[in-house]
Amino acid sequence: MRLKIIRVVIIFLFLILAMDLIYVQALKGNYFYRLSVNNRIRVIPLEPQRGRIFDRNGNVLAESRLSFDVTVIPQDVLDKDMLFTYLGQVLKIDKKEIAARYQQRMYTPFAPVVLIEDVDKQTAMVLEENRFRFPGLYIQETFQRWYPSGKTAAHVVGYVSKIDSQKIKKLKNYGYSQQSIVGYSGVEEYYDQYLMGEEGGLQIEVNSRGQQVQLLGIRQPEPGRDIHLTIDVRMQEISSKVMEDKAGSIVLMDLDSGEILCLVSSPGYDPNVFTDLKRAKERNRLFIEPASPVLNRVIKGQYPPGSVFKTVMSVAGLSEEKVNRNTTYHCPGFYKLGNRNFKCAHIHYSQNIIQALGHSCNVFYYNLGLVIGPELITRYAHKLGLGELTHIDLPSEERGFIPGPRNRRGEKTGWYKGDTLNFSIGQGEVLVTPIQVVRMMAAVAKGSIPQVHLLKMIENEPLVTNSIIKVIGLRKDVMDTVHEGLRAAVVSSSGSARQMNMAGFEVYGKTGTAQTVKGKKTHAWFAGYNLQGSRRMAFCVFLEYGGSSYYAVQVTSDLFKALRKENLI
Amino acid sequence: MGKNIGLVIWAMTIVIIVAGLLALYSASYHNIRISNEVFYDQLLFAIVGLVIMFLISKLDYRNFYELAYVFYAGAVILLILVLVSGRHALGATRWFSIGGISFQPSEMAKFGLILTLARYFSTRNPSVSFETDPFGNLWPDLFVPLLITMFPMLLIFKQPDLGTALLFVGIFFIMLFASGLKYKYIAGFLGVCLFFLPFAWHILKPYQRDRLLVFLNPNIDPLGAGYTIIQSKIAVGSGKFLGKGWLSGTQNQLNFLPERHTDFIFSVIGEEWGLIGTIIVLGCYFVLIWSGLKIAEQVKDKFGMQLTVGIIAIFTLQVVINIGMVLGLCPVVGLTLPLISFGRSSFITFMIMLGFLLNLSRRRTVF
Repeated sequence: MRLKIIRVVIIFLFLILAMDLIYVQALKGNYFYRLSVNNRIRVIPLEPQRGRIFDRNGNVLAESRLSFDVTVIPQDVLDKDMLFTYLGQVLKIDKKEIAARYQQRMYTPFAPVVLIEDVDKQTAMVLEENRFRFPGLYIQETFQRWYPSGKTAAHVVGYVSKIDSQKIKKLKNYGYSQQSIVGYSGVEEYYDQYLMGEEGGLQIEVNSRGQQVQLLGIRQPEPGRDIHLTIDVRMQEISSKVMEDKAGSIVLMDLDSGEILCLVSSPGYDPNVFTDLKRAKERNRLFIEPASPVLNRVIKGQYPPGSVFKTVMSVAGLSEEKVNRNTTYHCPGFYKLGNRNFKCAHIHYSQNIIQALGHSCNVFYYNLGLVIGPELITRYAHKLGLGELTHIDLPSEERGFIPGPRNRRGEKTGWYKGDTLNFSIGQGEVLVTPIQVVRMMAAVAKGSIPQVHLLKMIENEPLVTNSIIKVIGLRKDVMDTVHEGLRAAVVSSSGSARQMNMAGFEVYGKTGTAQTVKGKKTHAWFAGYNLQGSRRMAFCVFLEYGGSSYYAVQVTSDLFKALRKENLI
Repeated sequence: MGKNIGLVIWAMTIVIIVAGLLALYSASYHNIRISNEVFYDQLLFAIVGLVIMFLISKLDYRNFYELAYVFYAGAVILLILVLVSGRHALGATRWFSIGGISFQPSEMAKFGLILTLARYFSTRNPSVSFETDPFGNLWPDLFVPLLITMFPMLLIFKQPDLGTALLFVGIFFIMLFASGLKYKYIAGFLGVCLFFLPFAWHILKPYQRDRLLVFLNPNIDPLGAGYTIIQSKIAVGSGKFLGKGWLSGTQNQLNFLPERHTDFIFSVIGEEWGLIGTIIVLGCYFVLIWSGLKIAEQVKDKFGMQLTVGIIAIFTLQVVINIGMVLGLCPVVGLTLPLISFGRSSFITFMIMLGFLLNLSRRRTVF
């Protein structure tokens, strides 16, 4: 009985389909046939205005301005030659050039082909007035992205470009189309969903001569949402200036909230080259330049931390009570392991942990490393966030690498005492990113790891961040001792960062001079924090192949002096 | 009769597959957007599929009674894995890759679901039990099978794949109906579901809502789904009575229909083979489903009957919804046309189900 009912329902459903097929194909067939022979429906996309990007004080970092594109629908063009000649005259472009673009960009007879982007308003109006003479010609309103701050915040903001085939595959369910402009790096990419808005369009029916007969449908585009970032464009400017002609990075972060105040990767690039068609050559050059200006060194550069890693060692040694603040090791200027000498920068004689941090004594940490053992070093490095993604709101962050006896980079196997010694001073296989170092410094200063982020608010909805601070449970005595050591580096007359000793501004920090490949200069690091002043910050200054850490300290000192002069910190 | 039904199933299957291959060849013919690899790929899978169908027809479906829950659990685990592993990708996460071959677990879940529901319903007799104690049996006869359906359905919905999720709802109701639960309870349950429908609206993604709204009025989205519906209707209609001829469809060749090798393949058939072609293909599906109904009537055990009903349900729903979609009668929800749309997982799943149908037909009188 039940099956009989199912059968009746199935017959009924199939009959509906059959009848509709008869209706559409047999009865209305001629109508649809006419529409299909010279397909009469055209779609003219209406681009949405992309959301703007602001810094923390409301300065514009990215905005979209109206521009006009000259577009044709190939099917409706009656006389291509005549049209191109006309366009050539009005726009003062070689006719052949226009014809070449047309060949290149046309893919179906009915999809609009953009021939000339961004013509000025005057020209656009002239063309619009003469449009009736040239069926198939359209002036399309679009938007051009403009970055007023140029190079200054390029690695934070990113840039936009026309969507590529790989991306469209992934994103087509999310309102993207072939014509979409999408973010390709930085915040432009990470928050693209908010910034992009929604595409609209006109659907029109045209007659056989390509003239519009009627408007079938319209959907207004929906503008994207504005985004406010935590960075301060004035700090960006000062940092960029300090880093001029140098490769490396500067990061300043608010200790308590995890807000990034300043993020500069050098050399930089001007994101406007990606939207300005006249600068195509510059754009192509960006990607082949050996200095890789597009690379965001702060989150994608992976470098050995060198002596900065001694901060981790100190936390590990004190927390595990392998040493206390009074434990001393003797430094004769080297450490002999078998018949190999592991060097120190100076002869430091007897050192406790505070002095060793301040002087950056290798021998102290060789001894400490052997006492702690590599497993615990690995554990503490991870605990302080090294070798872990910070999940900053930027795309494609790198993880870095923290080795261990059972986890070695490349083909290497086994683990020897020599490896532990190298590990203890941040050499060997250890790799970290500058953003991880900043976060580690915040962790040491506060005993908790804030969520590093760049977003302050979307439109008028502020970001709620206080729930995402991870407490890592460092003991107070451990933190106090490490503070003292990091302070000693600055205030001690023989401290490794003594140039930083400035009146009225207390800096805590650790230097690092990291060996790189043979024949290349060392990387220079200086990272730390300040605990008083108008804002508690963690910072990291990194100079790629910059030589001794001395230079990194020098850059930091110039930076802070300039920032203080402008009353920014 | 037994031999005959088997032959009919084979014949219809082959006609449909051939029609599909011709349409695929045409859809990818001299086309820059769709590579002709889709044709060769489908050809290969057609052969593999026929072998699988043959092998399964030789097995005894009752062996799968024991395996039903295993299939179900396997499918659910894969669905979870897809969601977890694909979490960071922005696009739909239906795809899952094992050893380089990607397949959609949601397709396997379809089959796992009907096997499991068939086994479960075969142990119940709601037409009797429900009358004696309607409230005591509400749980085992209605809510347990509902939960069995809902769990994989929600995972698929999350992917997001609205079409397959809705298909699961359809399968559930049809198999519930066949289980013999009294009309008044089914009607009552349907009423409750309808009451909650407005709430479901809010959990849809914006683009899914758009698609449903567009169905009501294609002009509100002339660029997206609305455009596709209008274009596919023009394609089908312009085929008129005899069609424009193979490889001669203009709508097809001019890149009008974005997904014409998958969800909108029927429009290619409509345009190139006309009403003759579409009615033949529709007729083949009908005969196939009709044979299924015959088997369901004659099969002696309840598990076999429910399994057959489940298979019929999937075929009917996908054929009707897909063709309805192309004709603008149903919203565009993304369901494939059985054995014709390009898509390996979907294709193989249908071949497996046909294999079961054959084997049910051979054993319908055996005890």
